[in-house]
Amino acid sequence: MADIVQVIILGLALGGVYALMASGLTLVFGVMRIVNLAHPIMIIAGAFVSYWLFTLYGLDPIVSMPIAAIVMFCVGIIVYKLIFEREAASAKYSEMTVLLTFAVAMCFDGLLGTAFSNTQRITSPFYATDAIFLGDVFIPTGQLYAGIASLTVIAALVAFLQFTRFGYAIRATTQNRDAAQLMGVNVGLVSIITFGIGVGLAGAAGALVSFVFSFFPAKHWEWIAILMSLVVLGGMGKLAGAIIGALILATLAAFVSTYIGTTWSTMTFFLALFVILLVRPQGLFGDPLEES
Amino acid sequence: MAKLLEVEDVVAGYGRGPDILTGTTLSVEAGHVQCIIGPNGAGKSTLMKAIAGLLPLRSGAIRFNGERIDGMRPDQILRKGICFVPQERALFGKMTVRENLRMGGFILDDPRALGQRIDAVLEAFPILGERATQRAGTLSGGQQQMLAMARTLIVEPEIVMLDEPSLGLAPQIVEQMYDIVHMLREKGMTVLLVEQNAAVGLANADRGSVLDLGKTLFEGPASEILSDPRIQELYLGKPSQVA
Repeated sequence: MADIVQVIILGLALGGVYALMASGLTLVFGVMRIVNLAHPIMIIAGAFVSYWLFTLYGLDPIVSMPIAAIVMFCVGIIVYKLIFEREAASAKYSEMTVLLTFAVAMCFDGLLGTAFSNTQRITSPFYATDAIFLGDVFIPTGQLYAGIASLTVIAALVAFLQFTRFGYAIRATTQNRDAAQLMGVNVGLVSIITFGIGVGLAGAAGALVSFVFSFFPAKHWEWIAILMSLVVLGGMGKLAGAIIGALILATLAAFVSTYIGTTWSTMTFFLALFVILLVRPQGLFGDPLEES
Repeated sequence: MAKLLEVEDVVAGYGRGPDILTGTTLSVEAGHVQCIIGPNGAGKSTLMKAIAGLLPLRSGAIRFNGERIDGMRPDQILRKGICFVPQERALFGKMTVRENLRMGGFILDDPRALGQRIDAVLEAFPILGERATQRAGTLSGGQQQMLAMARTLIVEPEIVMLDEPSLGLAPQIVEQMYDIVHMLREKGMTVLLVEQNAAVGLANADRGSVLDLGKTLFEGPASEILSDPRIQELYLGKPSQVA
Protein backbone atom coordinates (compact mmCIF):
# COMPACT_ATOMS: atom_id res chain seq x y z
CA MET A 1 0.00 0.00 0.00
CA ALA A 2 2.81 2.38 0.94
CA ASP A 3 4.36 1.71 -2.47
CA ILE A 4 1.20 2.76 -4.24
CA VAL A 5 0.87 5.94 -2.14
CA GLN A 6 4.54 6.65 -2.87
CA VAL A 7 4.00 6.32 -6.62
CA ILE A 8 0.88 8.50 -6.53
CA ILE A 9 2.72 11.23 -4.61
CA LEU A 10 5.64 11.20 -7.04
CA GLY A 11 3.23 11.22 -9.99
CA LEU A 12 1.18 14.12 -8.66
CA ALA A 13 4.24 16.23 -7.81
CA LEU A 14 5.60 15.75 -11.32
CA GLY A 15 2.10 16.21 -12.75
CA GLY A 16 1.98 19.66 -11.18
CA VAL A 17 5.07 20.66 -13.16
CA TYR A 18 3.68 19.10 -16.35
CA ALA A 19 0.45 21.04 -15.78
CA LEU A 20 2.34 24.34 -15.82
CA MET A 21 4.32 23.19 -18.87
CA ALA A 22 1.05 22.45 -20.70
CA SER A 23 -1.01 25.43 -19.48
CA GLY A 24 0.60 27.98 -21.81
CA LEU A 25 0.24 25.60 -24.75
CA THR A 26 -3.48 25.09 -24.19
CA LEU A 27 -4.13 28.78 -23.46
CA VAL A 28 -2.55 29.85 -26.74
CA PHE A 29 -4.48 27.19 -28.66
CA GLY A 30 -7.75 28.17 -26.99
CA VAL A 31 -7.49 31.84 -27.89
CA MET A 32 -5.67 31.75 -31.23
CA ARG A 33 -5.97 28.18 -32.53
CA ILE A 34 -2.17 28.07 -32.69
CA VAL A 35 -0.73 24.61 -32.04
CA ASN A 36 2.53 25.98 -30.72
CA LEU A 37 5.11 23.32 -31.46
CA ALA A 38 7.73 25.82 -30.27
CA HIS A 39 6.30 25.76 -26.74
CA PRO A 40 8.72 23.10 -25.41
CA ILE A 41 11.79 24.93 -26.73
CA MET A 42 10.50 28.04 -24.94
CA ILE A 43 10.45 25.96 -21.76
CA ILE A 44 14.09 25.03 -22.41
CA ALA A 45 14.90 28.71 -23.01
CA GLY A 46 13.24 29.57 -19.67
CA ALA A 47 15.28 26.81 -18.04
CA PHE A 48 18.46 28.39 -19.43
CA VAL A 49 17.47 31.80 -17.99
CA SER A 50 17.14 30.26 -14.51
CA TYR A 51 20.21 28.08 -14.98
CA TRP A 52 22.44 31.05 -15.77
CA LEU A 53 20.94 33.20 -13.00
CA PHE A 54 21.68 30.34 -10.58
CA THR A 55 25.15 29.65 -11.98
CA LEU A 56 26.28 33.27 -12.21
CA TYR A 57 24.47 34.88 -9.27
CA GLY A 58 23.35 31.94 -7.12
CA LEU A 59 19.71 32.95 -7.58
CA ASP A 60 17.32 30.18 -6.57
CA PRO A 61 15.31 28.89 -9.58
CA ILE A 62 11.98 29.32 -7.75
CA VAL A 63 12.95 32.92 -6.97
CA SER A 64 14.08 33.49 -10.56
CA MET A 65 10.85 32.01 -11.92
CA PRO A 66 9.18 35.45 -12.38
CA ILE A 67 12.30 36.70 -14.18
CA ALA A 68 12.27 33.71 -16.55
CA ALA A 69 8.54 34.31 -17.11
CA ILE A 70 9.00 38.01 -17.92
CA VAL A 71 11.97 37.38 -20.23
CA MET A 72 10.03 34.70 -22.11
CA PHE A 73 6.87 36.88 -22.16
CA CYS A 74 8.92 39.50 -24.04
CA VAL A 75 10.32 36.81 -26.37
CA GLY A 76 6.76 35.66 -27.03
CA ILE A 77 5.59 39.17 -27.91
CA ILE A 78 8.50 39.64 -30.33
CA VAL A 79 7.94 36.23 -31.98
CA TYR A 80 4.21 36.93 -32.35
CA LYS A 81 4.77 40.40 -33.85
CA LEU A 82 7.44 39.14 -36.25
CA ILE A 83 5.85 35.89 -37.38
CA PHE A 84 2.21 35.31 -36.48
CA GLU A 85 0.54 38.71 -36.57
CA ARG A 86 0.84 39.17 -40.32
CA GLU A 87 -0.70 35.72 -40.92
CA ALA A 88 -3.68 36.31 -38.63
CA ALA A 89 -6.00 37.21 -41.52
CA SER A 90 -5.11 34.10 -43.51
CA ALA A 91 -7.89 31.56 -44.06
CA LYS A 92 -5.37 28.77 -43.46
CA TYR A 93 -4.06 30.42 -40.28
CA SER A 94 -4.37 27.42 -37.97
CA GLU A 95 -2.70 25.02 -40.43
CA MET A 96 0.03 27.54 -41.26
CA THR A 97 0.88 28.09 -37.62
CA VAL A 98 1.78 24.41 -37.23
CA LEU A 99 4.51 24.85 -39.83
CA LEU A 100 5.51 28.27 -38.54
CA THR A 101 5.83 27.13 -34.93
CA PHE A 102 7.82 24.09 -36.11
CA ALA A 103 10.19 26.49 -37.89
CA VAL A 104 10.43 28.67 -34.77
CA ALA A 105 11.25 25.55 -32.72
CA MET A 106 14.03 24.63 -35.19
CA CYS A 107 15.48 28.16 -35.05
CA PHE A 108 15.49 28.36 -31.26
CA ASP A 109 16.88 24.82 -31.05
CA GLY A 110 19.74 25.88 -33.33
CA LEU A 111 20.32 29.16 -31.49
CA LEU A 112 20.37 27.60 -28.03
CA GLY A 113 22.45 24.64 -29.26
CA THR A 114 25.01 26.99 -30.79
CA ALA A 115 25.12 29.29 -27.79
CA PHE A 116 25.17 26.68 -25.00
CA SER A 117 25.88 23.32 -26.75
CA ASN A 118 23.75 20.21 -26.31
CA THR A 119 25.32 19.04 -23.07
CA GLN A 120 23.00 18.08 -20.24
CA ARG A 121 22.57 20.72 -17.54
CA ILE A 122 20.72 20.99 -14.26
CA THR A 123 20.54 23.60 -11.53
CA SER A 124 21.15 22.21 -8.09
CA PRO A 125 19.61 24.29 -5.31
CA PHE A 126 20.02 22.77 -1.83
CA TYR A 127 16.54 21.19 -1.81
CA ALA A 128 16.87 19.51 -5.21
CA THR A 129 18.36 16.32 -3.80
CA ASP A 130 16.64 16.36 -0.40
CA ALA A 131 13.48 14.52 0.67
CA ILE A 132 10.81 14.65 3.35
CA PHE A 133 9.94 11.33 5.02
CA LEU A 134 6.40 10.59 6.22
CA GLY A 135 6.62 7.09 7.66
CA ASP A 136 7.44 4.77 4.80
CA VAL A 137 6.69 7.39 2.19
CA PHE A 138 9.20 9.95 1.00
CA ILE A 139 8.59 13.11 -0.97
CA PRO A 140 11.52 14.56 -2.94
CA THR A 141 11.59 18.23 -1.91
CA GLY A 142 12.65 19.39 -5.36
CA GLN A 143 9.56 17.87 -6.98
CA LEU A 144 7.37 18.93 -4.07
CA TYR A 145 8.46 22.57 -4.24
CA ALA A 146 8.23 22.54 -8.02
CA GLY A 147 4.70 21.07 -7.83
CA ILE A 148 3.60 23.67 -5.26
CA ALA A 149 5.17 26.56 -7.23
CA SER A 150 3.56 25.26 -10.39
CA LEU A 151 0.08 24.97 -8.90
CA THR A 152 0.47 28.45 -7.35
CA VAL A 153 1.21 29.94 -10.77
CA ILE A 154 -1.74 28.06 -12.28
CA ALA A 155 -4.04 29.28 -9.48
CA ALA A 156 -2.88 32.85 -10.19
CA LEU A 157 -3.56 32.30 -13.90
CA VAL A 158 -7.06 30.96 -13.20
CA ALA A 159 -7.81 33.92 -10.90
CA PHE A 160 -6.52 36.30 -13.58
CA LEU A 161 -8.74 34.69 -16.24
CA GLN A 162 -11.77 34.51 -13.95
CA PHE A 163 -11.79 37.86 -12.21
CA THR A 164 -9.90 40.50 -14.19
CA ARG A 165 -11.18 42.55 -17.11
CA PHE A 166 -8.43 41.30 -19.39
CA GLY A 167 -9.15 37.75 -18.22
CA TYR A 168 -12.76 38.19 -19.30
CA ALA A 169 -11.51 39.42 -22.67
CA ILE A 170 -9.32 36.33 -23.07
CA ARG A 171 -12.14 33.96 -22.11
CA ALA A 172 -14.57 35.75 -24.42
CA THR A 173 -12.11 35.60 -27.32
CA THR A 174 -11.58 31.89 -26.65
CA GLN A 175 -15.32 31.20 -26.85
CA ASN A 176 -16.35 33.46 -29.70
CA ARG A 177 -13.84 35.72 -31.41
CA ASP A 178 -16.35 37.74 -33.46
CA ALA A 179 -18.67 38.20 -30.50
CA ALA A 180 -15.75 39.40 -28.37
CA GLN A 181 -14.96 42.04 -31.00
CA LEU A 182 -18.57 43.17 -30.99
CA MET A 183 -18.41 43.60 -27.20
CA GLY A 184 -15.48 45.99 -27.62
CA VAL A 185 -12.58 43.59 -27.14
CA ASN A 186 -9.51 44.39 -29.21
CA VAL A 187 -8.88 40.78 -30.18
CA GLY A 188 -5.60 41.64 -31.90
CA LEU A 189 -4.23 42.97 -28.61
CA VAL A 190 -5.69 40.00 -26.73
CA SER A 191 -3.93 37.64 -29.14
CA ILE A 192 -0.53 39.31 -28.71
CA ILE A 193 -0.75 39.45 -24.92
CA THR A 194 -2.11 35.89 -24.67
CA PHE A 195 0.71 34.56 -26.81
CA GLY A 196 3.12 36.45 -24.54
CA ILE A 197 1.45 34.97 -21.46
CA GLY A 198 1.61 31.48 -22.99
CA VAL A 199 5.33 31.78 -23.66
CA GLY A 200 5.78 33.45 -20.26
CA LEU A 201 4.19 30.39 -18.66
CA ALA A 202 6.66 28.26 -20.61
CA GLY A 203 9.44 30.40 -19.10
CA ALA A 204 8.05 29.91 -15.58
CA ALA A 205 7.80 26.17 -16.19
CA GLY A 206 11.36 26.23 -17.52
CA ALA A 207 12.63 27.63 -14.21
CA LEU A 208 11.14 24.61 -12.41
CA VAL A 209 12.27 22.18 -15.09
CA SER A 210 15.83 23.43 -14.61
CA PHE A 211 16.12 21.59 -11.28
CA VAL A 212 13.55 18.77 -11.73
CA PHE A 213 14.97 17.39 -14.99
CA SER A 214 18.32 17.61 -16.69
CA PHE A 215 17.86 19.57 -19.89
CA PHE A 216 19.57 20.46 -23.17
CA PRO A 217 18.20 22.25 -26.25
CA ALA A 218 17.27 19.14 -28.28
CA LYS A 219 15.26 17.77 -25.35
CA HIS A 220 12.21 19.76 -26.53
CA TRP A 221 11.52 17.20 -29.30
CA GLU A 222 10.74 14.61 -26.63
CA TRP A 223 8.46 17.04 -24.77
CA ILE A 224 6.33 17.95 -27.76
CA ALA A 225 4.55 14.58 -27.72
CA ILE A 226 4.32 14.55 -23.93
CA LEU A 227 2.75 18.01 -23.79
CA MET A 228 0.46 17.29 -26.72
CA SER A 229 -0.84 14.16 -24.98
CA LEU A 230 -1.63 16.15 -21.81
CA VAL A 231 -3.43 18.85 -23.75
CA VAL A 232 -5.30 16.42 -26.01
CA LEU A 233 -6.41 14.32 -23.03
CA GLY A 234 -7.88 17.38 -21.32
CA GLY A 235 -9.34 18.82 -24.52
CA MET A 236 -7.45 21.28 -26.72
CA GLY A 237 -7.75 24.79 -25.35
CA LYS A 238 -9.19 23.72 -21.98
CA LEU A 239 -7.00 24.90 -19.12
CA ALA A 240 -8.69 22.76 -16.46
CA GLY A 241 -8.46 19.80 -18.84
CA ALA A 242 -4.72 20.28 -19.32
CA ILE A 243 -4.17 20.38 -15.54
CA ILE A 244 -6.23 17.25 -14.90
CA GLY A 245 -4.69 15.53 -17.94
CA ALA A 246 -1.21 16.31 -16.59
CA LEU A 247 -1.98 14.93 -13.14
CA ILE A 248 -3.57 11.75 -14.56
CA LEU A 249 -0.88 10.97 -17.11
CA ALA A 250 2.05 11.83 -14.82
CA THR A 251 0.62 9.48 -12.17
CA LEU A 252 0.09 6.74 -14.78
CA ALA A 253 3.64 7.26 -16.03
CA ALA A 254 4.92 6.95 -12.45
CA PHE A 255 3.12 3.60 -12.10
CA VAL A 256 4.54 2.38 -15.41
CA SER A 257 8.01 3.54 -14.38
CA THR A 258 7.79 1.72 -11.03
CA TYR A 259 6.12 -1.53 -12.04
CA ILE A 260 7.15 -2.01 -15.68
CA GLY A 261 10.35 -0.05 -16.13
CA THR A 262 11.67 3.50 -16.42
CA THR A 263 12.27 3.20 -20.15
CA TRP A 264 8.54 2.53 -20.70
CA SER A 265 7.44 5.56 -18.71
CA THR A 266 7.57 7.98 -21.66
CA MET A 267 5.63 5.48 -23.74
CA THR A 268 2.65 6.13 -21.46
CA PHE A 269 2.24 9.59 -22.97
CA PHE A 270 2.62 8.42 -26.58
CA LEU A 271 0.20 5.54 -26.06
CA ALA A 272 -2.28 7.84 -24.32
CA LEU A 273 -2.11 10.24 -27.28
CA PHE A 274 -2.99 7.44 -29.72
CA VAL A 275 -5.78 6.05 -27.57
CA ILE A 276 -7.36 9.47 -26.91
CA LEU A 277 -7.30 10.40 -30.60
CA LEU A 278 -8.93 7.09 -31.51
CA VAL A 279 -11.50 6.87 -28.72
CA ARG A 280 -12.35 10.43 -27.73
CA PRO A 281 -10.56 12.92 -30.00
CA GLN A 282 -12.11 15.94 -28.27
CA GLY A 283 -10.51 14.85 -24.97
CA LEU A 284 -12.11 14.70 -21.53
CA PHE A 285 -13.43 18.27 -21.44
CA GLY A 286 -13.48 19.26 -25.11
CA ASP A 287 -16.60 20.01 -27.13
CA PRO A 288 -17.69 17.25 -29.55
CA LEU A 289 -15.86 17.59 -32.85
CA GLU A 290 -17.92 18.75 -35.82
CA GLU A 291 -18.07 16.39 -38.76
CA SER A 292 -16.86 18.00 -41.93
CA MET B 1 -34.17 65.06 -38.86
CA ALA B 2 -30.37 64.69 -38.57
CA LYS B 3 -28.74 61.76 -40.31
CA LEU B 4 -27.11 59.55 -37.72
CA LEU B 5 -25.69 56.91 -40.01
CA GLU B 6 -24.93 57.21 -43.71
CA VAL B 7 -23.83 54.43 -46.01
CA GLU B 8 -22.53 55.77 -49.32
CA ASP B 9 -22.05 53.57 -52.42
CA VAL B 10 -20.60 50.72 -50.42
CA VAL B 11 -19.11 47.76 -52.26
CA ALA B 12 -18.12 44.74 -50.14
CA GLY B 13 -17.82 40.95 -50.27
CA TYR B 14 -16.23 38.02 -48.50
CA GLY B 15 -12.61 37.05 -49.13
CA ARG B 16 -11.88 36.98 -52.85
CA GLY B 17 -15.51 36.24 -53.68
CA PRO B 18 -17.89 38.41 -55.71
CA ASP B 19 -19.33 41.69 -54.47
CA ILE B 20 -22.34 41.16 -52.21
CA LEU B 21 -22.95 44.85 -51.66
CA THR B 22 -22.79 46.48 -55.08
CA GLY B 23 -23.10 50.18 -54.29
CA THR B 24 -25.40 50.19 -51.28
CA THR B 25 -26.68 53.49 -49.99
CA LEU B 26 -28.56 53.92 -46.74
CA SER B 27 -29.36 56.70 -44.33
CA VAL B 28 -30.65 56.31 -40.81
CA GLU B 29 -32.22 59.12 -38.85
CA ALA B 30 -31.75 59.49 -35.11
CA GLY B 31 -34.52 58.19 -32.86
CA HIS B 32 -36.18 55.99 -35.45
CA VAL B 33 -36.68 52.26 -35.86
CA GLN B 34 -35.60 51.45 -39.41
CA CYS B 35 -36.16 48.05 -40.98
CA ILE B 36 -34.19 46.68 -43.93
CA ILE B 37 -36.09 44.11 -45.98
CA GLY B 38 -35.18 42.14 -49.08
CA PRO B 39 -34.97 38.62 -50.45
CA ASN B 40 -32.38 36.05 -49.40
CA GLY B 41 -28.94 37.01 -50.66
CA ALA B 42 -29.84 40.69 -50.99
CA GLY B 43 -26.93 41.61 -48.72
CA LYS B 44 -28.88 42.68 -45.62
CA SER B 45 -26.70 40.86 -43.08
CA THR B 46 -23.56 41.69 -45.06
CA LEU B 47 -24.46 45.38 -44.83
CA MET B 48 -24.75 45.14 -41.05
CA LYS B 49 -21.41 43.34 -40.79
CA ALA B 50 -19.81 46.04 -42.93
CA ILE B 51 -21.21 48.80 -40.72
CA ALA B 52 -20.07 46.95 -37.58
CA GLY B 53 -16.52 46.65 -38.95
CA LEU B 54 -16.55 42.86 -39.31
CA LEU B 55 -16.21 43.11 -43.10
CA PRO B 56 -13.82 45.51 -44.86
CA LEU B 57 -15.21 47.68 -47.65
CA ARG B 58 -13.90 47.41 -51.20
CA SER B 59 -15.09 50.95 -51.88
CA GLY B 60 -17.55 53.52 -50.57
CA ALA B 61 -17.86 55.14 -47.18
CA ILE B 62 -19.76 54.79 -43.94
CA ARG B 63 -20.27 57.85 -41.74
CA PHE B 64 -21.58 57.97 -38.20
CA ASN B 65 -22.43 61.40 -36.81
CA GLY B 66 -20.55 62.76 -39.82
CA GLU B 67 -17.33 60.88 -39.02
CA ARG B 68 -16.03 58.12 -41.30
CA ILE B 69 -16.02 54.82 -39.46
CA ASP B 70 -15.17 52.44 -42.33
CA GLY B 71 -11.73 50.96 -41.72
CA MET B 72 -12.19 51.05 -37.95
CA ARG B 73 -12.10 47.85 -35.90
CA PRO B 74 -15.38 46.51 -34.44
CA ASP B 75 -14.35 47.49 -30.91
CA GLN B 76 -13.61 51.04 -32.05
CA ILE B 77 -16.99 51.24 -33.80
CA LEU B 78 -18.75 50.07 -30.63
CA ARG B 79 -16.98 52.78 -28.68
CA LYS B 80 -18.31 55.32 -31.20
CA GLY B 81 -21.84 54.19 -30.27
CA ILE B 82 -22.88 51.43 -32.69
CA CYS B 83 -23.85 48.10 -31.16
CA PHE B 84 -24.50 45.07 -33.37
CA VAL B 85 -26.46 41.95 -32.42
CA PRO B 86 -25.83 39.41 -35.19
CA GLN B 87 -28.14 36.57 -36.22
CA GLU B 88 -26.21 34.07 -34.13
CA ARG B 89 -26.65 36.47 -31.15
CA ALA B 90 -22.95 36.70 -30.22
CA LEU B 91 -23.44 35.18 -26.79
CA PHE B 92 -20.75 33.41 -24.82
CA GLY B 93 -22.40 30.04 -24.26
CA LYS B 94 -20.13 28.92 -21.44
CA MET B 95 -20.44 32.17 -19.51
CA THR B 96 -23.37 32.80 -17.20
CA VAL B 97 -26.11 35.31 -17.99
CA ARG B 98 -24.50 37.78 -15.59
CA GLU B 99 -21.07 37.28 -17.14
CA ASN B 100 -22.54 37.84 -20.59
CA LEU B 101 -24.02 41.12 -19.36
CA ARG B 102 -20.64 42.01 -17.91
CA MET B 103 -19.07 41.38 -21.32
CA GLY B 104 -21.78 43.62 -22.78
CA GLY B 105 -20.31 46.43 -20.69
CA PHE B 106 -16.71 45.58 -21.43
CA ILE B 107 -15.99 49.08 -22.71
CA LEU B 108 -17.23 50.73 -19.51
CA ASP B 109 -14.37 51.76 -17.24
CA ASP B 110 -16.31 52.17 -13.98
CA PRO B 111 -16.92 48.72 -12.40
CA ARG B 112 -19.47 50.12 -9.94
CA ALA B 113 -21.55 51.71 -12.70
CA LEU B 114 -21.29 48.49 -14.67
CA GLY B 115 -22.57 46.47 -11.71
CA GLN B 116 -25.52 48.86 -11.29
CA ARG B 117 -26.43 48.62 -14.96
CA ILE B 118 -26.27 44.83 -14.87
CA ASP B 119 -28.58 44.80 -11.83
CA ALA B 120 -30.97 47.19 -13.60
CA VAL B 121 -31.13 44.94 -16.66
CA LEU B 122 -31.70 41.83 -14.54
CA GLU B 123 -34.51 43.67 -12.80
CA ALA B 124 -36.07 44.85 -16.06
CA PHE B 125 -35.96 41.30 -17.45
CA PRO B 126 -37.05 39.01 -14.61
CA ILE B 127 -36.58 35.87 -16.74
CA LEU B 128 -32.90 36.76 -17.05
CA GLY B 129 -32.76 37.74 -13.37
CA GLU B 130 -33.94 34.26 -12.39
CA ARG B 131 -31.26 32.73 -14.59
CA ALA B 132 -28.41 35.10 -13.74
CA THR B 133 -26.09 32.27 -12.75
CA GLN B 134 -27.16 29.93 -15.56
CA ARG B 135 -24.90 29.40 -18.56
CA ALA B 136 -26.13 31.32 -21.60
CA GLY B 137 -25.76 28.24 -23.82
CA THR B 138 -28.43 26.43 -21.82
CA LEU B 139 -31.11 29.12 -22.30
CA SER B 140 -33.97 28.68 -24.77
CA GLY B 141 -33.75 30.45 -28.14
CA GLY B 142 -36.11 33.21 -27.02
CA GLN B 143 -34.23 33.76 -23.77
CA GLN B 144 -30.92 33.89 -25.65
CA GLN B 145 -32.33 36.52 -28.02
CA MET B 146 -33.68 38.46 -25.04
CA LEU B 147 -30.24 38.34 -23.39
CA ALA B 148 -28.51 39.46 -26.59
CA MET B 149 -30.88 42.43 -26.93
CA ALA B 150 -30.95 43.28 -23.22
CA ARG B 151 -27.14 43.29 -23.25
CA THR B 152 -27.19 46.34 -25.52
CA LEU B 153 -28.84 48.29 -22.68
CA ILE B 154 -25.65 48.00 -20.64
CA VAL B 155 -23.68 50.34 -22.91
CA GLU B 156 -26.69 52.35 -24.13
CA PRO B 157 -25.27 52.95 -27.61
CA GLU B 158 -26.68 55.57 -29.97
CA ILE B 159 -27.67 52.94 -32.49
CA VAL B 160 -28.50 49.26 -32.07
CA MET B 161 -28.34 47.01 -35.14
CA LEU B 162 -30.35 43.80 -34.92
CA ASP B 163 -29.92 41.10 -37.53
CA GLU B 164 -33.05 38.92 -37.78
CA PRO B 165 -34.17 39.25 -34.15
CA SER B 166 -37.20 37.02 -34.79
CA LEU B 167 -35.32 34.21 -36.53
CA GLY B 168 -36.44 30.79 -35.30
CA LEU B 169 -38.72 32.18 -32.58
CA ALA B 170 -42.39 31.41 -31.91
CA PRO B 171 -44.84 34.25 -32.79
CA GLN B 172 -45.52 35.01 -29.11
CA ILE B 173 -41.81 35.37 -28.43
CA VAL B 174 -41.40 37.55 -31.53
CA GLU B 175 -43.88 39.99 -29.99
CA GLN B 176 -41.76 40.14 -26.84
CA MET B 177 -38.67 40.86 -28.96
CA TYR B 178 -40.39 43.78 -30.62
CA ASP B 179 -41.47 45.06 -27.20
CA ILE B 180 -37.75 45.23 -26.43
CA VAL B 181 -37.14 47.05 -29.74
CA HIS B 182 -39.67 49.68 -28.70
CA MET B 183 -38.12 49.84 -25.25
CA LEU B 184 -34.75 50.59 -26.84
CA ARG B 185 -36.29 53.42 -28.85
CA GLU B 186 -38.05 54.83 -25.79
CA LYS B 187 -34.67 54.96 -24.08
CA GLY B 188 -33.47 57.19 -26.90
CA MET B 189 -31.67 54.64 -29.02
CA THR B 190 -31.99 54.35 -32.76
CA VAL B 191 -32.70 50.83 -34.00
CA LEU B 192 -31.67 49.48 -37.39
CA LEU B 193 -32.96 45.99 -37.97
CA VAL B 194 -32.87 43.40 -40.68
CA GLU B 195 -35.95 41.24 -40.90
CA GLN B 196 -36.74 38.28 -43.13
CA ASN B 197 -40.36 38.53 -42.02
CA ALA B 198 -40.80 41.85 -43.79
CA ALA B 199 -44.42 42.45 -42.75
CA VAL B 200 -43.60 42.08 -39.04
CA GLY B 201 -40.44 44.17 -39.32
CA LEU B 202 -42.08 47.03 -41.18
CA ALA B 203 -45.15 46.99 -38.91
CA ASN B 204 -42.82 47.73 -36.00
CA ALA B 205 -40.66 50.30 -37.80
CA ASP B 206 -40.89 54.02 -38.60
CA ARG B 207 -38.85 53.77 -41.76
CA GLY B 208 -37.92 51.01 -44.15
CA SER B 209 -35.32 50.24 -46.78
CA VAL B 210 -35.65 47.69 -49.55
CA LEU B 211 -32.42 45.98 -50.54
CA ASP B 212 -31.98 43.70 -53.53
CA LEU B 213 -28.82 42.34 -55.16
CA GLY B 214 -26.70 44.53 -52.90
CA LYS B 215 -28.40 47.81 -53.87
CA THR B 216 -30.95 49.94 -52.08
CA LEU B 217 -34.09 50.07 -54.24
CA PHE B 218 -36.25 52.20 -51.99
CA GLU B 219 -36.07 54.04 -48.72
CA GLY B 220 -38.94 55.79 -46.97
CA PRO B 221 -41.65 55.60 -44.31
CA ALA B 222 -42.44 52.01 -43.35
CA SER B 223 -46.18 52.59 -43.89
CA GLU B 224 -45.50 53.64 -47.48
CA ILE B 225 -43.49 50.50 -48.17
CA LEU B 226 -46.15 48.33 -46.58
CA SER B 227 -48.84 49.79 -48.83
CA ASP B 228 -46.82 49.78 -52.08
CA PRO B 229 -48.39 47.08 -54.31
CA ARG B 230 -45.11 46.25 -56.10
CA ILE B 231 -43.28 45.74 -52.82
CA GLN B 232 -46.22 43.79 -51.45
CA GLU B 233 -45.98 41.44 -54.41
CA LEU B 234 -42.21 41.14 -54.51
CA TYR B 235 -41.22 41.12 -50.85
CA LEU B 236 -44.30 40.64 -48.70
CA GLY B 237 -45.67 37.59 -50.48
CA LYS B 238 -49.02 39.17 -51.36
CA PRO B 239 -50.52 38.69 -54.84
CA SER B 240 -50.67 41.66 -57.18
CA GLN B 241 -53.98 43.57 -57.16
CA VAL B 242 -53.56 44.40 -60.85
CA ALA B 243 -55.58 42.11 -63.12
